[in-house]
Amino acid sequence: MNERKQTPEPGDPTASDARWTDAACRLLDESADDLDAATLSRLNRARQAAIEAGRTRRASVWAWPALFAAAATCALALLVWPAAQAPLDSTPDSVIAAGDLDLLAADADLALYEDLEFYAWLDTQQSADG
Amino acid sequence: MPLATAVWTQTDRMPSAPVQAAERARALDRFLRGIERRALRIAELSTHHREDALELVQDAMLAFSRSYADKPEDEWTPLFHRVLDSRILDFHRRNQVRRRWRVWFGRSADDNEEDPLEQVADPSDPGPMLRMADGQTRAALDAALRALPLRQRQTFLLRIWEGLDVAQTAAAMGCSEGSVKTHLSRALSALRPRLEDLR
Repeated sequence: MNERKQTPEPGDPTASDARWTDAACRLLDESADDLDAATLSRLNRARQAAIEAGRTRRASVWAWPALFAAAATCALALLVWPAAQAPLDSTPDSVIAAGDLDLLAADADLALYEDLEFYAWLDTQQSADG
Repeated sequence: MPLATAVWTQTDRMPSAPVQAAERARALDRFLRGIERRALRIAELSTHHREDALELVQDAMLAFSRSYADKPEDEWTPLFHRVLDSRILDFHRRNQVRRRWRVWFGRSADDNEEDPLEQVADPSDPGPMLRMADGQTRAALDAALRALPLRQRQTFLLRIWEGLDVAQTAAAMGCSEGSVKTHLSRALSALRPRLEDLR
């Protein structure tokens, strides 16, 4: 209980009131101390429920940011994973690059490939003559 | 001291979140255990029924624990009484509405409730304390307090019994400090003739 008033304020009990107000407080204290067992049990249950409610609320206050952080991490992982996998895929550019590589690695003369159209025309001329 | 070491030492001394939560729960238990009986008596003087009073106190405890238990402990008492006071006011408003409906439907306004006239102080009462034995004195005190208007009774109980100062009482009742002084002065004037023989 709070300490009963130390500094008198305007409107406070006068010195002559102090006797009966002190007696009234004593009687009220006694009435609060003399509550029956059933009432005390109800109060006890109410107190435990209130403490549990406060604990649950505090836990949920921490749970929401944690849940949000987990969700954000998953979303980020889903975005980053395909991007990291992309260079390994066979995109058209990579096919072209692989074809160029085969061409460069081949033993054949590069000039043959450059004049491929000329050789094709020459072949058609010879067929027509022959 | 190197910064890393300082941070490590400070972190090492800080209680972990579960420890803090457990300490908070223990402090809340101590606080509610200390205030619950007086809270019940305050509610009972306003509702006139223990069952109603128990429900109000239970509601107040739950609401306080959910909304204000994170506040500094020295603010808990006026905050708890703020919650309880608003529950008591709601209870009276609901009862008034219920009473009006009963009157409109032609039923007796208070079939199962106490007559409001019983709450008015009897001016012909010579002073019950003079002729009452110890066991009856408490009942006479209850009757005198119940005869007060709600705000005057709340002011008397919070200011005189709970020992809150004017500012805390005003915060608990959601009114100005001037109103607290006025209510208290009127409550004392009303109670004085009935209780001045109390020892």
